Amino acid sequence: MTVAVAPEVRLTMPARAEGVGVVRQALAGMADALAFNAAVVADMKMAVTEACTNVVVHAYDGEEGTLEVEMLADDASLTIVVRDWGTGIQPRPHRREAPALGLGLPLIAALSDSFELRGSTKSGAEVRMTFIADRAADPAAANPVTGGVGDDGRWEPEAEPPA
Amino acid sequence: MDANPIVLDESAADVVVVVVEGEHDIYTAPTLRERLDEALERGGGVVVDLTAATFVDSSVLGALLDARRRALDADQGYVVCVGAQVEPGVQRILDITGLVPVLPVVGDRTQAIEHARDGVRG
Repeated sequence: MTVAVAPEVRLTMPARAEGVGVVRQALAGMADALAFNAAVVADMKMAVTEACTNVVVHAYDGEEGTLEVEMLADDASLTIVVRDWGTGIQPRPHRREAPALGLGLPLIAALSDSFELRGSTKSGAEVRMTFIADRAADPAAANPVTGGVGDDGRWEPEAEPPA
Repeated sequence: MDANPIVLDESAADVVVVVVEGEHDIYTAPTLRERLDEALERGGGVVVDLTAATFVDSSVLGALLDARRRALDADQGYVVCVGAQVEPGVQRILDITGLVPVLPVVGDRTQAIEHARDGVRG
């Protein structure tokens, strides 16, 4: 009997803006090795960027903190976990100034084949996204990004979608 | 040399083109905001050219939308162009957010410059 060893990448780094591109490059390398469809790879890069950006912008209230990313592959899918140990999941962003457009989680929902959000208000947060190598359908059709640009130029989840 | 440059092209009369190349996210969004501010301060039309951009995230969309609002407030033309062959890392986020007609987004730079110039006149 042979036991398949799943490819696995684990990154731990300071939660800073310059690290997000590093995560994206590591993901691109892993996706190349796995020969995923280019459209799925593009969605993975976008979703993981948004998850890491949420950590950089929201998790530590401007203090230093850690961003942890795990990429776990099997034959048919890649699961990416983005984790922090910050202030936890807030019901709504308490600050809405730049650069938070408020589109991060809606984009993750639209781009991943499944995703799960874990966390409480004091123990950090974890976003777990799974991407299927051979998609039967576009996840953005099942979970479209709703809303539109409000009068203040920011994203309003309840706004009418553009015509 | 910067692998992800953002530069102003002022070769078109009364329209400034902000040329964005490579990958852009929360790390480079502040630089994009500065360039967009510079372009808007010229007082004419503004085109953001994403033809050579390979990836943009919601931080970039936030910068583009803020600049759009400022342009509208000041009656300055504002158009984004993406070229004929659009990278998936640019096209996908524009498609699923429905921002193509909002920003607005057009194909080539010449057309974008004309539209931005019309915006100034209109």
